[in-house]
Amino acid sequence: MVTLDVRPQLLDALSALRDRVAAARFPLPLAGAPRARANRDELLAQLDDYLVPRLREPEAPLLAVVGGSTGAGKSTLVNSLVGRRVSEAGVLRPTTRTPVLVCHPEDHHWFSGMRVLPDLTRVWVPHQEPGDDLLLPGENPARVLRVETAETLPRGLALLDAPDIDSLVADNRVLAAELICSADIWVMVTTAARYADAVPWHLLRTAKEYDAALVTVLDRVPHQVASEVSRQYAALLTKAGLGDVPRFTVPELPESAWGGGLLPATAVASLRNWLIHQVQDPANRQQTLARTAYGVLDSLKSRMPELASAAAAQYAAALRLTSAVDAAYDSEHARVRGRLQAGAVLAGDALKRWRAFPVDCSAGELLDALMESLAALLLCAVTAADERVDETWRREPAAGAPGLTDRDPSLESAEHRIGMAVRRWRRELEEYAEEEVRDLDRTVAPDPEAVAVLVATALLGGRRARSAGEGLAERIGAHGALRLRDRGGRLLAEHVDRVMHTERERRLAPLDALDVHPEPQAELIAALSVLQKER
Amino acid sequence: MTAVTDQDHTDHADHTDQADHTDHADHADHAGETVAEGGRPEKRSPEEGVSEDDAPVEGTSDAAPLGEGDENRTGAGDDSADGGRPKDGTVGTAGHAGTHHARVSEDDDAGSGRKDDDTRTRTDSASAEATSVWDDGLIARRVAEDGTVAPGYVPPVVETRGPSAQAMAAPLAYDGHLRSRLDALRELVGLSRTRLDSRTLSEAGRVLDEAAARRRLSGQHTVVAIAGATGSGKSQLFNALAGVAISETGVRRPTTAAPIACSWSDGAAGLIERIGIPPRLRRRPLQSAEAEAQLRGLVLIDLPDHDSAAVQHREQVDRVLALVDAVIWVVDPEKYADAMLHERYLRPMAGHAEVMFVVLNQIDRLPGEATEQVLDDLRRLLDEDGIALGEYGEPGATVLALSALTGDGLGELREALGQFVAERGAPARRISADLDAAAVGLWPVYATRRRTGLSEEARDEFAGRLADAVGATAAGEAAERAWLRNANRACGTPWLRLWRWYQDRYETPTGRLLLRTQEDEEATARQRVEQAVRTLADRASAGLPAPWAQAVREAAVRGSQGLPEALDELAARAGLPPGRPPRPGWWPGAVLTQAAMTVLQIVGGLWLLGQIIGFMAPNLGVPVMLMVAGIIGGPLVEWSCRMAARGPARRYGTDAERRLREAAAGCGRARVLDPVAAELLRYREVREQFGRVTGVGAAAGTR
Repeated sequence: MVTLDVRPQLLDALSALRDRVAAARFPLPLAGAPRARANRDELLAQLDDYLVPRLREPEAPLLAVVGGSTGAGKSTLVNSLVGRRVSEAGVLRPTTRTPVLVCHPEDHHWFSGMRVLPDLTRVWVPHQEPGDDLLLPGENPARVLRVETAETLPRGLALLDAPDIDSLVADNRVLAAELICSADIWVMVTTAARYADAVPWHLLRTAKEYDAALVTVLDRVPHQVASEVSRQYAALLTKAGLGDVPRFTVPELPESAWGGGLLPATAVASLRNWLIHQVQDPANRQQTLARTAYGVLDSLKSRMPELASAAAAQYAAALRLTSAVDAAYDSEHARVRGRLQAGAVLAGDALKRWRAFPVDCSAGELLDALMESLAALLLCAVTAADERVDETWRREPAAGAPGLTDRDPSLESAEHRIGMAVRRWRRELEEYAEEEVRDLDRTVAPDPEAVAVLVATALLGGRRARSAGEGLAERIGAHGALRLRDRGGRLLAEHVDRVMHTERERRLAPLDALDVHPEPQAELIAALSVLQKER
Repeated sequence: MTAVTDQDHTDHADHTDQADHTDHADHADHAGETVAEGGRPEKRSPEEGVSEDDAPVEGTSDAAPLGEGDENRTGAGDDSADGGRPKDGTVGTAGHAGTHHARVSEDDDAGSGRKDDDTRTRTDSASAEATSVWDDGLIARRVAEDGTVAPGYVPPVVETRGPSAQAMAAPLAYDGHLRSRLDALRELVGLSRTRLDSRTLSEAGRVLDEAAARRRLSGQHTVVAIAGATGSGKSQLFNALAGVAISETGVRRPTTAAPIACSWSDGAAGLIERIGIPPRLRRRPLQSAEAEAQLRGLVLIDLPDHDSAAVQHREQVDRVLALVDAVIWVVDPEKYADAMLHERYLRPMAGHAEVMFVVLNQIDRLPGEATEQVLDDLRRLLDEDGIALGEYGEPGATVLALSALTGDGLGELREALGQFVAERGAPARRISADLDAAAVGLWPVYATRRRTGLSEEARDEFAGRLADAVGATAAGEAAERAWLRNANRACGTPWLRLWRWYQDRYETPTGRLLLRTQEDEEATARQRVEQAVRTLADRASAGLPAPWAQAVREAAVRGSQGLPEALDELAARAGLPPGRPPRPGWWPGAVLTQAAMTVLQIVGGLWLLGQIIGFMAPNLGVPVMLMVAGIIGGPLVEWSCRMAARGPARRYGTDAERRLREAAAGCGRARVLDPVAAELLRYREVREQFGRVTGVGAAAGTR
């Protein structure tokens, strides 16, 4: 027999693991992401609501959560077990919207604090009408837990009436799953009409997976068919590998059925006795506690790697997106360099002006045309890169994350930024030219602007601007010309690099903001292995 | 009469049916072939189709009462197979029948070829989709990976979907509106097959196939399926309506494993076959004149459950629900709010409200006034699902409460069903609702909320960018200045020219000397062309649904290949001829005047010189006057020439610019703008078709 012995190291490892789980994020809309998010939330809820408080305080009362489909008679069952109407029952579905916890008055302190189910606000008043708005704005009305006390329950046992597990109301669904995961004893209620439904079977399978202390109740069985239905249900359970689960049958009785009344004590006596036996016999209690707790601990072995692999998938997807951007910008960068070398800037307007220079065109005009052409080249490269990134990303499901692809407003500013960079290069080039001219000890110093234009043309025009280089050498000497061209060229390369880099960073910024790292995967696995060692 | 003897009877009827079918099918094939051989064009204009189709429709409506009368007289309807024959004969002339069959077989060609594949992929994708929606990871919704738990698993009935059977009853006819919508959808699918992937279009294809298949079958029958959760009493209701215990009922869950059909009148064999119910599962109701009169034409189908752990049942339900004309959803007080029912079936089928009954069964389990409460709650839930409720005479779902066990409220359902079946509108309404659903599914790939197309502005901007790329502005300016310079030089005073010539000797030439010596390669700015095309593509595809935007972009990119080279060549051709710019007529005069002025100066100077050296008689006045006139007149002539040259120079420059600009724009239009506009036109056409499919008319594209 397993018993529950808890060492502080285990608790430490567990809370470290909890933090890791809480820190895991799955922002990219991959195929498995919604599931991973749900798993994470569920695991987190189970750790917070059940495992950690249970291991901290093994002496706390056992919590039996009654769960099942809508209309299965969960509330009626709880009421009947308690012996008075604590939970609303009725004919309209879904009936229970606020979960109700019932315990012995002396156990009240265990549940009034935030020891278990810390997400749920406790309310004490009996059920309010839905119209009453005592809630603060922004407070989720579904996230409340009503705590009731009843003398009829033995000490050390608490019953929780959960909303239906497959409610039409999505919040209820999530809440029910969370509540069931916080139970020491899972009480699964199904009915004669429902015992073959898919939904309760999913639930039973999950219970088996977590190896929780499980008990099933076949509710609302018309007495004519009781034995047959019960037999078939047993057969199905056995087939599913749940043959050893305690099974109770509650008949459908006229006084109970739809009035929300109480079943006679005899109808639920066997279940009640079983529960009391679980609580009051120390050995049984220990076993029940340990079984569910270790079941959850064991389930971590498969659930943590699942989360870790989801985190790894996120990182891989982010990496793919990033590398697509990098590849696009790298290749465009290379293309820009190649075209600069080939003198693609000296084309169109700029070429026409260069042909007319200096007779029919001033140096300023030529310089303007050159700068415009350079800006056009850079802008073309950036938009081409963006387009290529878009195309690659279109095939990536991860690129659907909000904010990753809407880049329309930034295009204008890209033009603006490129224009700024080009103008700055021009200004610096003109300054260099002035410096060179000033140092020249000639009687007739050449016009600095003309020198700047010749340098720019020589740098941007490639092969077809050879004469610009010659002209420059004639004006300021071969040495000065070489120096000027060198400095201007370095400056140009620097500016082009910076522009491409800035634009790439801009493109990657939303992806970086999502904060997808490789660490969570390793951390999750590490936390799990620490936990394994401490057990 | 018991169900067993009844079955015999149906079997017998089936045999005759079969024989008749093959006969018919042959006939149809034959007709189709001859027509096809006749070289009939495959595609018809809608008007033609309509006019041809009208005849059979009228014939049917005439013939139907006749046939019914016949059956009434003979009673059991044993010889309905024979009854079908004359009907066909009365439909119209042989020619009419021929065209009709040809049409059918044509539809067949269009549909059945890929039907089998389609159905399979459809169910696959549908179930995958449903699974993904449903399987959201909550602990109650995890779909079994291994599927080990399958209580009450019954192997699915092997379907035998024979050659498409011909109904002997008059086939269904859709009204003009629905028919034109279907035609529009067919056209739409044809138009967009190259642009959209087949997955997007599969739903539309399925609707078309189903519409064609349903249309070939009896229009006098309405197929109604009874669907619901396990244990809600579907089979009980089925039996109650039929009056015989046909379908097995029991406490064992799930009870019914395969669909069972029950037909109130003959001629529905084709319909039942389409659903894939084998003959051994076809039944007849209890024979009673009253029930027969009320529910004539009803084919009722009892379905397995959709919510049990037996996944095969759900697959059967999903398959059959796509094929029937109407559905009765049976819910019970315990399960009426199940998420499975609402999220998985009722919400997606909200558009089918008109062919939907929602029946609250087992009201005998509810105490007195609770029935009304539950019914109201059910109505509220249905309303939240988006299902229109057929209250106050509005079209919508019929909601009823009954007890199949005690028979409470059964009469109401019978009455509603009878009326529903007698209207015979259900198949068309179902197809119409399917069409609506398909249109909603296609909405994102066809519709746009913005006005699309290329604005005049965008076209002008594109032309402007191309002109920039070839350097039209700079070329124009350069030409203007060169002209002006030449004019000045020609008309300037010789002294000024002499000085300039002297200066030029020491001025180092830069780019100017190369001007005439070297032919430029790549004179067009490649990056500007690329950017211009990209901007244009962006503008043109703004607001278009993704596939069409992609097509537009591709058209632009395809057109832009070779555009820079073409512009290079064109710039060389459309540019100014090399050499000196042309001279206006007044130039020689100006040059002569300038020369005269110089001559005056020289003459005056010589005269003065002559006087100084005493060669001539002293006369200061005239030579000084001559010289002064020459000295003042020279610059004056030069200045006035410059003024006069300004206009022609500008004209010359703008002319040069315009020639380049127009050539570039023309090149861009032919290579890029026209293909893009064609693509946009194609989209507009498709959108118009889509508007017709949605039934709002051609003007609905931009709503």
